[in-house]
Amino acid sequence: MEDYKYLFKVVLIGNAGVGKTCLVRRFTEGLFPPGQGATIGVDFMIKTVDVDGEKVKLQIWDTAGQERFRSITQAYYRSANALILVYDVCCQNSFDSLPQWLNEIELYAGSKVLTFLVGNKVDKMSKEIPTQIGQQFAQRYDMTFIETSAKECENVEKLFMDIARGLTKRARDLNLQPEENNEFPSGGSTPISTFSCCKI
Amino acid sequence: MATIRVDATSPGNKNVENLTDIDEIQKAYDELCREENVIAEELSSVFEHQAMLENKMVGLHKTLPNLQILQNDSKQLSSMISFTSTLAENVSSKVRKLDLAKSQVSQCITRVEDILDLKFCTDGVQTALQNEDYEKAAGHVHRFRNLDESVIRMSADSSEGGTLETSFRMLYESEEKLKTIVNSKFSAAVHSGDVASVERFFKIFPLLGMHEEGLTKFGKYLSSQLSETADRNLKIALDSSGDVKRSSVLYADTIIMLLEGIARTVEVHQPLVETYYGPGKLIVLLKILQKECDRQVRKVVEKFKQSREYDKKVRLVQTSLIAQKQNSQENRLDPMEVDLLLSEIVLINNRSELYLRFMKRKAMGDLETSEQESKLMEEGKVEVEKLINESDLSRLMQELIGNYIMMEEYFMKEMVVKAVNMDVTDEGAKTSSMVDDAFFIVKKSVRRTISSSSVDGVCAMLNHAGSTLEQDFREVLYTRLRGGYPSGFDLQQAYNIMQSSFQQGKLTSSDQEKEKARTLFLTALNNSEVSCDYCKALKTSLDEEVNKLYSYCNEHSKAKLETCLNDLGSVPARFKDVVDFGFSQLTSSAVKPRIKPLVDTFLATGHNLTEEEFSNFEANDPWLQNFIANLDNMLKSFKESLTNGNNERFVNLITGEISVQLEKAVIKTAFNRLGGLQFDKELRSLVGYLTSVTTWTIRDKFARLTQMATILNLEKVSEILDYWGQNSGPLTWRLTPTEVRQILSLRVDFRSEDIKRLKL
Ligand SMILES: Nc1nc2c(ncn2[C@@H]2O[C@H](COP(=O)(O)OP(=O)(O)O)[C@@H](O)[C@H]2O)c(=O)[nH]1
Ligand SMILES: [Mg+2]
Repeated sequence: MEDYKYLFKVVLIGNAGVGKTCLVRRFTEGLFPPGQGATIGVDFMIKTVDVDGEKVKLQIWDTAGQERFRSITQAYYRSANALILVYDVCCQNSFDSLPQWLNEIELYAGSKVLTFLVGNKVDKMSKEIPTQIGQQFAQRYDMTFIETSAKECENVEKLFMDIARGLTKRARDLNLQPEENNEFPSGGSTPISTFSCCKI
Repeated sequence: MATIRVDATSPGNKNVENLTDIDEIQKAYDELCREENVIAEELSSVFEHQAMLENKMVGLHKTLPNLQILQNDSKQLSSMISFTSTLAENVSSKVRKLDLAKSQVSQCITRVEDILDLKFCTDGVQTALQNEDYEKAAGHVHRFRNLDESVIRMSADSSEGGTLETSFRMLYESEEKLKTIVNSKFSAAVHSGDVASVERFFKIFPLLGMHEEGLTKFGKYLSSQLSETADRNLKIALDSSGDVKRSSVLYADTIIMLLEGIARTVEVHQPLVETYYGPGKLIVLLKILQKECDRQVRKVVEKFKQSREYDKKVRLVQTSLIAQKQNSQENRLDPMEVDLLLSEIVLINNRSELYLRFMKRKAMGDLETSEQESKLMEEGKVEVEKLINESDLSRLMQELIGNYIMMEEYFMKEMVVKAVNMDVTDEGAKTSSMVDDAFFIVKKSVRRTISSSSVDGVCAMLNHAGSTLEQDFREVLYTRLRGGYPSGFDLQQAYNIMQSSFQQGKLTSSDQEKEKARTLFLTALNNSEVSCDYCKALKTSLDEEVNKLYSYCNEHSKAKLETCLNDLGSVPARFKDVVDFGFSQLTSSAVKPRIKPLVDTFLATGHNLTEEEFSNFEANDPWLQNFIANLDNMLKSFKESLTNGNNERFVNLITGEISVQLEKAVIKTAFNRLGGLQFDKELRSLVGYLTSVTTWTIRDKFARLTQMATILNLEKVSEILDYWGQNSGPLTWRLTPTEVRQILSLRVDFRSEDIKRLKL
């Protein structure tokens, strides 16, 4: 089939309007889209990048932030290799919603998922969330923190490349320890005991 | 050339006078002589060219007169050309003047015509209004509106100013009058329900430049009609609720009727708008109709939610999902309670998508025929996208589908739990009911989602299906295998149990437990195996179903669907892992311990044989018959309980185990020539038997043992060289030289020096 060494799924989440779609378009198409409508449901892009000479394919799922799309977007958490949780550094409300998003991650994502916290729109003057605060929040919940601007193309490449590198390293380490690879069951942090009621 | 020569010789000349030493003089003389020779050569070559140059000179002299003629001719030509050009210049300037004059004349004619038209319009409008011929009156006004008023005024200001002014005034007055009349007549027609008149006046608006107004009024008129029908239909639906056959999709039917009604209205009036209002205007009408559609759909959806207890069920499923996750039995809604609701929602969404696609196609089609410049075109497209995406209908459907996906996920997972809880194995069946049931449910749920034609919904559901199978269902199978295959339970024991149960009248409970555990284990192993195949089949059939969506979704949606489908393709491998795990359990608890004692009977049989023993063995096999009989019993008992695929895998496992253990035993055994012969015979029978019980090739597994037998069967040590290296022919040795020596040394009659001396 296609020529790539690893395939990873990356899912972007966060309130509507924080710039998820812009981040993805900036990274995949190198542009800042003027006045596109809000994302409906889930959008999907592919970009293949190079990590230490190996082709790594990123499957990027850009989700709509509104409540009514929540159950659709939740369906993507489980198989995600990395999650990008985005807030708008000029919007206190988007930062205040982070705990709710973390709750979603806790409920639906796999335990091994790589999570990045992204403060977007740092190009704007009216910054409401100081870098320090974002940094602390990320640390507390074991996320990698980065501030970006999709508009000014700041740190966008770095964000996705860090994810590609992080996941590639993980995959390589796992290949070196095949037993751990076979560990059962893989997948989500969701308790798989759903059926333990029917044990023999 | 001359300069060069002087340069070259001058230093020599100067120096000659100062020379005193005879050697130097001699050297200078030689130098001069050589130069002289060179010069002489050059001279002669110059002389050689002389003749040729003279020839050329003569030739040139001859052509000289011709050149003079040529020059004269050219001068003449040039003066002719410049004369012609002046002439052309003259002509063309006259033509230009003529052109200008002509266009002025034609403009003049147009203006005269315009003025005539103006007079004609002025008169015509009056008469038409008097005759209530509004179309004609509007036609005159339309003609007048297209005239360039300022130009007409300019061209006729002096002499005719008075009459023109009157004409204009009259026309303006008539236009206003006409507008008022058309407005009121249209309203009156709407009021009295006079469809013909409504359409009649709708066509007049654009002639008066009242496109927006006409479309708005007409849109409102159509909306009110739609509203009436919709109310009537909803009322009928609410009244008829009860035992009507389609009562479970009553609201879906009502919405479908509503949407089809609107689509029909658009279909019917589109030509009217295009003809009388021109292309690019339909969107105005569509927007108004969509507003009405939104209003009506909201009403029906509200009733639907009320009557189906939608909100309550959504809440119940939400809490049930949490209970499901926490594995609590309490507060879990019976999934069948939402089954019908789910089916109705997908139907509603399906028709809504169909309708929205229709509206989009109409709007885009009209936009494209308007042939606007690209910027306006882009704006138009954004407007169309907005009309579709930001309609309440879209929003309502997104909400419905969102909740639908949540409930469908619950339905699927809960039904799978039920299937597992109610698992039964039919008498003689190798798999149990839960596999068929679980896959049936997953397929049902995904297919239902596909029938909603919501791309995002299908993608989400494909993800859920994958996780239900790969995680939840696989965990059930895995848990059952994790218990392991109860060891120490075989046919002999089963026979004993039967015997004792006949004597005692019942089976002991511990044996019963073991028997049950054994069946459970093997059934789980079989279930895992068929799950691999079922997964593949599920994917194939969903591939086909999803394909039907492709015809009306864009490339992007298609890529999304394909990606999610592909993920489902990785699930069979996850079940294969479970099968492998099960077999590793089986190997450690059933295969290894049973093969061991069998192979021990080989060890117990000597292979250092006398002639007498050898011929005795021929008649009375010392171990192999028994070995095969035992093996056969064991394989038969498993074959009864294993699926074909698993049985093959099992035989393969046994074969591998036998070859490994037998190899170890051979190395511990002493052979003589006859013993080697005996072993060769034994091995052939064993391989023959095993080949008969499987379709997989097993010779490869026995390649090393067969080669050992060959070695043990040699007459003398050096004979190995007939099979080794260059002489190996088609045979590929699986034994290393060290191993070959080791096997040779098993022969008690071979001398170790001979073996050592071998060059392998
Ligand atoms: N100044 C600035 N505006 C941004 C940036 N990223 C996104 N936006 C704007 O934020 C709005 C929402 O962006 P969008 O990507 O649709 O957000 P989403 O709902 O999270 O996908 C748009 O108007 C963008 O132009 C950024 O880095 N800087
Ligand atoms: Mg977006």
